[in-house]
Amino acid sequence: MQAYFISQAELTALISSLLKDSIVIAPVSFQGKNILQPINEGTAGNVNLSGYRTIEPFKSFLFKITEKVAEYFNVDQPASGKKLVFLGVRGCDLEALEVYDKVLGEGEFADPSYLANRQDILLIGADCTDCGPTCFCTMVGGRPFPYQLFDLNLSPVAGGYVAEARTEKGEGLIALYNKASDEQVKEKENIRQQVIAKLEANNQEYKCHCTINWDEAHKLNLENTKAWQTITKNCVECSGCNFICPTCTCFLLLDQKANEQNDRFKVWDACLKSGYAKVAGGANSRPKLYERLQNRYHCKFDYSFDRLGRYTCVGCGRCIDGCAGNIDMRKVYAELVRQAPLTAKLE
Amino acid sequence: MITETSNIKTFVFRPEEPLTFLPGQFMLVTIPGVGECAFTPSSDYKVTETLEFTIMRAGSVTALIHQLKAGDTVGLRGPYGKPYPLKDYHGKDVYVVGGGVGLAPLRALLYGLNHEIDHLNKVEVRFGSRSPQDICYKDDLPNWEKRKKTNIVISVDSAAPGWTGNVGLVTTILKDDDVDVKNAVAVVCGPPIMMKFVNKRLLDMGFAPKDIYLSMEKNMSCGIGKCFHCNLGKYFVCKDGPVFTWEQIKDIPEPW
Repeated sequence: MQAYFISQAELTALISSLLKDSIVIAPVSFQGKNILQPINEGTAGNVNLSGYRTIEPFKSFLFKITEKVAEYFNVDQPASGKKLVFLGVRGCDLEALEVYDKVLGEGEFADPSYLANRQDILLIGADCTDCGPTCFCTMVGGRPFPYQLFDLNLSPVAGGYVAEARTEKGEGLIALYNKASDEQVKEKENIRQQVIAKLEANNQEYKCHCTINWDEAHKLNLENTKAWQTITKNCVECSGCNFICPTCTCFLLLDQKANEQNDRFKVWDACLKSGYAKVAGGANSRPKLYERLQNRYHCKFDYSFDRLGRYTCVGCGRCIDGCAGNIDMRKVYAELVRQAPLTAKLE
Repeated sequence: MITETSNIKTFVFRPEEPLTFLPGQFMLVTIPGVGECAFTPSSDYKVTETLEFTIMRAGSVTALIHQLKAGDTVGLRGPYGKPYPLKDYHGKDVYVVGGGVGLAPLRALLYGLNHEIDHLNKVEVRFGSRSPQDICYKDDLPNWEKRKKTNIVISVDSAAPGWTGNVGLVTTILKDDDVDVKNAVAVVCGPPIMMKFVNKRLLDMGFAPKDIYLSMEKNMSCGIGKCFHCNLGKYFVCKDGPVFTWEQIKDIPEPW
């Protein structure tokens, strides 16, 4: 990929031109963190691509919180609406997008409204110039910079950004800018290495202190009921982890009647809720909260591996930030591994 | 619409477009504006103009289904899921064990088995209900008794005046020499607690885990493997089931 250089002013101008026919979702700074906002002419200059991932993920723009999916007995295809631009997607956000593409976008029953918004989307990534205290993408095979799925990537350096395109769509946006110098490319690489080093250092205490790696660890001790009961002590079933997680796709189909009209809605759902697995007649295969929390971890690290060939946790740490009970999944895993009797492997 | 028991009815639906299924698959029935539930058709799959569903009144949607009258319209989509692998039962004894309204998919299975009866050794049916009034398909049972190579034994958990048959949980009528376990398959459907204990009994009788077929039930929403509600370990009951062998699910933390 040929590397170009875009100044801060040139980026603001690029955003303005994109706004002519697209909705642009980008991070802006808020109380020291980044949050996502739809950008307009007036706020194009507020876009902040440095730092690390936003508090909330991009998910709700592709997988809506509530959405009407049918009016009986007609099923119209959803209108695509304006094109979307995601600006400032991080490495973890793009990993999550790959999961969404697999779950919502593939197979016999792909979600037509997801595909309608996804197919024309412009993805502009951004390197992380720092990591948050809860970030752990490197522990699940990720990196703190985009390396897949993006059209164009922007790496913040002094005075602007090193821009590299991955697709023709991305190339078309930057072909007229100046090429990046060797020093600028080197600066980009240095920043990447620094962030990786900081991630490793931050997460050193959670690395398994034995020869068992993550693949073995989760199979070994996910059944340890006592450990899970302890882990779940602080959980209040707020389901913040489910809702803020960029790879969670659980939904519920709800039917509603309004006068003569019968509608069906698809709404976000959360596996931690007590009624998630309850059937008519009252039976529930996961009546206890620790069973549901245990199932969530199984889903992210165990079942997803069987279904999709990968973890569905991208190590963004949003669930740790969002947890009302301060449950940290890195601590959960480290504790499960420490408690795991090594002899269990011999059974 | 046939009333089977105080809270179970069989409904005959006529689909507007051709809609066929294989025994073991399920469909989703919608009461517009209220909700949608998954049911396994209990009719003969070779009869294509109508579909029969045996439905217990258990919640808000089924309560409204029970109030349906001839000529009413419901929504229907499907079939989804993997059917009973009838070809795998050829040359074997088929041990069919059901409880309560769990007999609904087994009725479809029995029609299916009867179509293949020349390829099967024999069909032994064991069926339990809570009481004589709760026995499903009272009118069908005598006809099934007359079928080739088919034997039916029923039991009730608690008797009522006039009942002269077996009394006890369905596990009490599963006898060691009912079938040749080395050359048999067991097909079970019923409430989770019943399936759990029948499964145990079958393993004690000597059935191999791969020869026990269980109709698993989970809370379903989409029915097509997307909403994750029905996850049974790594499987989705809607897409990979609802029929599973015990071999497939024996290591899952909370199958029942």
